[in-house]
Amino acid sequence: MVFEGCPGSHTLDLREKETRETTPTEKVRSQLRQWPIQLHLISPTAPYYQGADVLLTADCVAYALGNFHTDYLKGKSIAIACPKLDEGQDVYVEKIKSWLEDAKINTLSVLIMQVPCCMGLVNLAQQAAERSKRKVPIKSIIVGIQGDILSEEWV
Amino acid sequence: MDEYLNMEVKEVISKFPEAARVLDEYNIGCTVCNAGSCLLKDIVEIHSLSSDEEQELMAKLARVVYPGRDVKVLEVGRKPKAKPERVKYSPPLKKLVDEHLLIKRWIALIPKLAESLDVNTEEGRQLVLQGVDFIRTYADRYHHAKEEEVLFKYFDENLEILKTMHADHEKARSHVRSILQAVEEKNGEAVKEHLNAYRELLTEHIKKEDEILYPWMDRGLSLTQVGELFSRFNELEEQFQTVPEKYEEFIRKLEEKFR
Repeated sequence: MVFEGCPGSHTLDLREKETRETTPTEKVRSQLRQWPIQLHLISPTAPYYQGADVLLTADCVAYALGNFHTDYLKGKSIAIACPKLDEGQDVYVEKIKSWLEDAKINTLSVLIMQVPCCMGLVNLAQQAAERSKRKVPIKSIIVGIQGDILSEEWV
Repeated sequence: MDEYLNMEVKEVISKFPEAARVLDEYNIGCTVCNAGSCLLKDIVEIHSLSSDEEQELMAKLARVVYPGRDVKVLEVGRKPKAKPERVKYSPPLKKLVDEHLLIKRWIALIPKLAESLDVNTEEGRQLVLQGVDFIRTYADRYHHAKEEEVLFKYFDENLEILKTMHADHEKARSHVRSILQAVEEKNGEAVKEHLNAYRELLTEHIKKEDEILYPWMDRGLSLTQVGELFSRFNELEEQFQTVPEKYEEFIRKLEEKFR
């Protein structure tokens, strides 16, 4: 894949892929078990974050990753954000820090797209972890534009 | 072949020495393992071979075991790795690997310590006792306790590989007891003998854990379990407070002494 200009907003036509996909035989059940989910709207100390395995997911991830609900969201609590477009990201760092220190989350998985600007979300998580007295394992998962997992590693 | 698959690898090598060469070809270092009590059928999973490599290895072993028979070997063109790939451990297992670094620095000092050892002087005896204190407090209570009381509990402790690890820990403790007895009896030769035996045992033990056991465990741990382990290791570390710094300083001073 060759990018020109900003890779985050470069136009790609993936319609051909549609015809190659199989149709699920049964309805995929949602694994979402909370509301709200946007990082500005959530309270980091809400009950569903206490001791949880938390997903911090870039907005676009759930649209790219075919099995997002079953493979990643199941059994976890979530917040979503866009590191490129969202304002007030200092608040994000404080909220992630509060997950670590106050909600005493078990793990944090940061799911981002392959475009470079998405790495900002991992950076926010790292900043929060550096400022936090309590540490947890943080995993970074990079999702390709066609929905494949490009890398999965501990930060 | 089933008969041999359920046999300890040490026994297989003893019956068929050529099997050791085949295993070495796949970087399976059972030849030099002190225990060698893993079952042949388990080593494939433990060493994370691909299914093609597994078939190829098993066929080559079958040729060794049944030399006259026509055994087809699936050649997958596996090339020996020039350098083992750097393993990425999960955060809790990375803690254990990092603790090995200080233990390895201690092990590296043992030959020089043994060479200059004089148990007839108070200074010589104190030096050995300080080394024993490092082994008992840092290597055993601080490090091995994380394994025995926490990590190993996440797996079936009847697995041969875990029995081997427990047996290594017990052998190390036995060497420490013998060192203490030899110091009391002012028997310098016995102190050296058990210090060197401890060094050999731990060198092999750490290699097995870093290269085989921990990567295998990481493949089996869920995300939730990784978080739990990390948290429980942190709780244990809080109980030991300044222990890592104290023993890091001890090793640093010893390295200066024997530079």
